[in-house]
Amino acid sequence: MAGIQFRPCGDFRTSYRADTTIFDDRFSRNFVIGLVIVLALIPIPTVFDLGFDVIDRYWTNLLINIGFLSIAALGLNILVGFTGQISIGHAVFFGFGAFSTVFIHENTGLPVFFTIPLAGLLTAAVGLIFGVPAARLKGLYLAIATLAAQFILENFFARADWFSGGTHGARAPRVELFGFEFRDAQAYWWLVLGYVVVMYLLATNLMRSRDGRALIAVRDHYLSAEIMGVNLTKYRILSFGIASFYAGIGGALFAHYNRFVQVETFNIFFSIQFLAMVIIGGLGSVMGTIMGVTFIVLLPEVTEGLAGTLRGTELAESLNLEVGLNFMKEMAIGLAIILFLIFEPDGLAHRWRQIKAYWKLYPFSY
Amino acid sequence: MNALKLTTATAVAALAVGSAQAQDVFVGHLADLTGATASIGVAYADGIADAFAWYNANGGIDGTEIAFETIDYAYQAPRAVSIYQDWVSDDVVAIQGWGTADTEALIQFVAEDEIPYFSASYSGALTDPTGDAERSPEAAPYNFFYGPSYSDACRALAQWSWEDWEASGGEGTPIWVHMGADHPYPESPRQACSEYATELGFEVADQIQYSMGPADFTAQCLTLNEVGADYAYLANIAGANIAMLNSCANLGVETQFVSNVWGYDENVMRAAGAAADGVVVAVRTQSIFTDDNEAIARVQEIAGGDDYQVLSYLAGVCSAAYMVEAMRGAYEADDEVTGPGIKAYIEAQSDWVPEGLDGLCYPSTWTAEDHRGLMTVSIYQGHVDGATEGQEVADLVADGVMSLEQVGEITLERRPEWLGY
Amino acid sequence: MEALRLDFLSQLLVTGLIIGTLYGVVAMSFVLIYKASKVVNFAQGEFLLVGSWVCWYFLIEFQLPFWIGFPMTLAFMLVFGVLLQVVVLRPMIGEPIISIIMVTIGLSIMFQALMKWMFGVSPQPYPPIFDVGSVNVLGVQIQTIYLLSIVVSVAIMGGFAWFFKYSRYGLAMRATAFDQQAAQSLGVSVKAVFAMAWAISALVSAVAGIVVGVVNGVSSDLSFYGIKVFPAVILGGLDSIIGGVLGGIIIGLIEAVAAYFDLFLGFGNLQQIVPFYVLVILLMIKPYGLFGTRDIERV
Repeated sequence: MAGIQFRPCGDFRTSYRADTTIFDDRFSRNFVIGLVIVLALIPIPTVFDLGFDVIDRYWTNLLINIGFLSIAALGLNILVGFTGQISIGHAVFFGFGAFSTVFIHENTGLPVFFTIPLAGLLTAAVGLIFGVPAARLKGLYLAIATLAAQFILENFFARADWFSGGTHGARAPRVELFGFEFRDAQAYWWLVLGYVVVMYLLATNLMRSRDGRALIAVRDHYLSAEIMGVNLTKYRILSFGIASFYAGIGGALFAHYNRFVQVETFNIFFSIQFLAMVIIGGLGSVMGTIMGVTFIVLLPEVTEGLAGTLRGTELAESLNLEVGLNFMKEMAIGLAIILFLIFEPDGLAHRWRQIKAYWKLYPFSY
Repeated sequence: MNALKLTTATAVAALAVGSAQAQDVFVGHLADLTGATASIGVAYADGIADAFAWYNANGGIDGTEIAFETIDYAYQAPRAVSIYQDWVSDDVVAIQGWGTADTEALIQFVAEDEIPYFSASYSGALTDPTGDAERSPEAAPYNFFYGPSYSDACRALAQWSWEDWEASGGEGTPIWVHMGADHPYPESPRQACSEYATELGFEVADQIQYSMGPADFTAQCLTLNEVGADYAYLANIAGANIAMLNSCANLGVETQFVSNVWGYDENVMRAAGAAADGVVVAVRTQSIFTDDNEAIARVQEIAGGDDYQVLSYLAGVCSAAYMVEAMRGAYEADDEVTGPGIKAYIEAQSDWVPEGLDGLCYPSTWTAEDHRGLMTVSIYQGHVDGATEGQEVADLVADGVMSLEQVGEITLERRPEWLGY
Repeated sequence: MEALRLDFLSQLLVTGLIIGTLYGVVAMSFVLIYKASKVVNFAQGEFLLVGSWVCWYFLIEFQLPFWIGFPMTLAFMLVFGVLLQVVVLRPMIGEPIISIIMVTIGLSIMFQALMKWMFGVSPQPYPPIFDVGSVNVLGVQIQTIYLLSIVVSVAIMGGFAWFFKYSRYGLAMRATAFDQQAAQSLGVSVKAVFAMAWAISALVSAVAGIVVGVVNGVSSDLSFYGIKVFPAVILGGLDSIIGGVLGGIIIGLIEAVAAYFDLFLGFGNLQQIVPFYVLVILLMIKPYGLFGTRDIERV
C-alpha cells in the first residue's frame, strides 16, 4: 500500500498486540516523532551561534517549564488518573527531587547529569514511605495523608539545613556532561526534552504492562482486582513510588534550570496547581497531561498578554480599568478554569479525541 | 517574538523608539499588586511607578524617556522568571523587583545577563557581590536594594531595645524573642539578629512561630507571657502581625513588640487599631510624609498631591530614584545606559543621595565588595488613639488618631563578618 | 507545681477549645457540601472571605448596627450560595466529581481576586461590636465574639440535627447524599437539595468569617482557614457533621497541647506541625475518621 494510508473507521483490532500499540497508526506515530525532532532542532542555531534564534528566551523558558512540569504532572496522573488515588501534596515531592539532586551532587561529587535520576529514585523512596497509609486508606481519607506529607516535608525543607540549606535555600549547579556545559537555556531544553521523551515512553509502556493493567484494575474496582490476584497494598504503594519518581525527576530538572531552590516554592497551592494540570488535561491520559500542563502554564501568560494589550489604551482609561486590570487578569484565570470544565469536564484529552474522531471520518461520516 | 504579548511589546518598542532613536532605555518593574503580599506591595509599587513617571516628565535620562513597564506577577516566582526572560528578550537594562523568592531565584540570571536588580527583598544574602564573605551563600554582584538589610534592621531594633531597657532602668537580664514563620523571609535575619542580641546582653529565648497567614495566635501570646519576654521581634508581614497584635492585646501581654520594615505600617495601625499602639518599627527613610522638608515636597510632586503616603511608598521612591540617578551617571560616563555601566556608577559613589531627595533617602554607599547600602536605621513608634474602622489612612493621620513618632536613629558599625549574612 | 506550669496548660486548653470550635464551624460547612454532593469544596475559605467582607460593608458603609448587619449578611449568603450553585455548579451535575472539585479551585481563584478588587488589598478593622471586648474564662481573656460564635454554632448545630432528622428537606438531603439516583427516582429534586446544601454551607462559613473578621480585621488572608480545617474535616469523618465539629475541637486541643510541650522543647513550630503527625497516626487506626461512615462493600 505504498503511499496511501488507510485509517480504520472502527475498532477492527483482532489481537491483544494490536490493542496495546502506543500509536493508533503509522501517521500518528510519525507525527509525534516528527514533532519531537522539530522540537529538538530548535536550539541548534542558538547553541552553535549561527546568528539567529528560532525562538527567544521567553518561549524557551515556557517550553522548559512545560517540559519539567509535564514530567511531574504525569506522575500525578499515574497516581490519580490511573490508580484512582488523590494526592494534594505532589509539590513537595517535586521539591524533594529538586533538593536531593543538589544534596547528592554536593555530598558525592557526582556530575549533575547522573544525580538527576538518583534524585528521582530518592524521591521515589520517600514517596513509598508516605504511600504506606494508602494500604489502609481510600479516596479522600488518603488525600489527608498526602496533605500531611505536604506540611511535614515542607517543614523538613525549612528545618533540615544539612539537606536543603534550610529556609535560605540551595544553589543548584549547571548540568555538565563530558565537558559540554548546558550553559544556554536552549541547550538545557535538549536535556528536558530528552527526559520528557524517555519518561513519557516509560509511562506509556508501563500502562501496557501487567503492572500497569493492575494499577488500572485497582482504580476501576479494587475488590475485583483483589479477587483476580492483584496485591492491592503493593500496587497502591507502588503507584505512590512511581508518582514520586516522576515528581523527583521533574523537580531535579527544575532545580538545575532555575539553579536555586527554596522551600517557599513548593507550597500547597503549587500542589493544587498540579491537580489542576492533570484534571484539565484529562485523568488517565498520558498525552492529555502535556496538554493540561500547557494550558495551566500558558493561561497566566495569555491573560497577561490580554491585560497588556488593554493597558494604556483609551478604552481602559475611559472605563477606569488601570487598577482593575490586574485583578481581572487573576479572575480570568479562575474563570477560564471554570468555563473550561463546564464545557469540557473530561479534560483536553477528551476534546482532542473528539477532534480526531471528527476528522477521521471526514468528509463522510457513514 | 512573543505572539501572546506582541502588542505589549510593540507598544513598549514604539514608546522607546518614539522617544529615542539611538537607544532604548527599558526598565522593568516586577510588582505584587494582587498576590499574597499585595497588602504591602501596592504602596511600594506606586512609589516606584510614580517616581519613574516623574523622572520621565522631568527630562528622563538626558532627554531620553525611560520605557517603564510594571507587571504584576501575583507573588508567583515562576511567573517572575518568565516575565524576566521576556524582558531580557526586549533588552531590559535594569529591573525593580519585589519578593524574596523571585529575587533569589533571579540572582544568577541577572548576574549573567548583567542587569542591575533592585529588590524589595532586603535579605542579607544579597549584600555580598563577590561571594568571598565568610557566611554568605554566594555572590550576588548585580543585586542592590535601598535600605538596611533585614539582619541589620533587626540588629538596630535589638540595639534600640537594649538602650530602651537601660533608659527605663530595668533590672536583671531582659529577654529577647524572635517571632516568625518557617519561611525564607522571616527566617532571614533570625540567626544574625539573635547573635547580636546575645552580644548586647539579652537573654535570647527560643523562637516562637506563627504562620504567615493570620490565624488566632492566642497560644503564641500565652507562650510569650510564659517566657516573660521583654522584647519580641515580629518577623512576618503585615497580615499575620495584625492578628498577633490583636491576640496579644486581648490577653494584656506587656511585651514590647518591635517589627521589621514590612511588618508594620499605617495600614497595620488602622487594621489593628488600639492593639497596634506602641509598636516600634524599623524605617528605611530619613523622614516620613508628615515631615516638612524639601524632599517631602518633592515626594508630593512625585505623588501628584499631598495625599498621605505610607512608609513603603517613600522607600519605593528612594529605590527608583537611586536607579535613575545611576542611569544618568552611567549615561554621562559612557554615552549609553548599560547594566554594567549602572553598576560601575553605583559602586564608584559613596554616601550619595539622589538629587532633590536629601533628607528623605539616607546617604548610601554600595562598593564593589560590599552591597550593604545603608547601615543606618530610623526607629519609629506607632501611636493609635481612637477608633480607626471605616476611615482612610490619610484622614486618620490628619486627625491625629494615628501617628508615627521617631524614637531613635541607630547607625550600626560596618562589620566585615556581617557581610552577606 | 511551678515547673509544670499547669496554669499555662489550662489557659492553652481553653484557647484551644475556643479556636477548635471555630475550626469546627468551618468544618461543618465543609462537610455539608461533601455530604450532599460528594464535592470537596476548595472554595470554602472564600466563603468566609465573602461573608466577612459583606458584613463589614454593611456595618461600615451603611452604618448598620451589628444586630441588623449580621442577619442581613446571612441572608445575602443564602442567596449567594443558591446563585453559585445554579450558575456554576448545576451544569456540572452528573459530571465526574473530580472535575467539580476543580471548578471549586477555579472559584477560589476568582473570588480571591474579585474580593481584592472590590474591597482593596489592605486589611480593614471591624467596628467594636460589644461593649465588653473580652471576658475572663478560667484565667484567659476570651473575646466576646468567640463566645457568641459558640452560641451561634451550637444553635446552628441544633438546627441541623432537627433539620436532618425531622424535616422533609432534611430527609431529602440525606436521601440524596445516600444515593443520588434512587432519591431522584423517588421524586427528590436533586437540584434543589444541592442548592440548599451550598446555601447553608455559605451561610455557616460566613458566621466563621465574620467572627475572624471581628477579631483580626478582614483581609484576603482570611481564606486560609478553608485549608486549615482540612485536617479537622477528615479527622471527624468526611460525612459526619458532628464529626466535623468534634474534629475541629480535637485539632484545636492538639494544637494547644503541642504549644505547651513546645515551651519545654523549644522547637517553636510544634503547634503547626504536630496535628498532621497525629492525623496520620489516627487515620492508620481509624481509616474512616472518628465518625465517618464505614464504607462496607458487598460483592
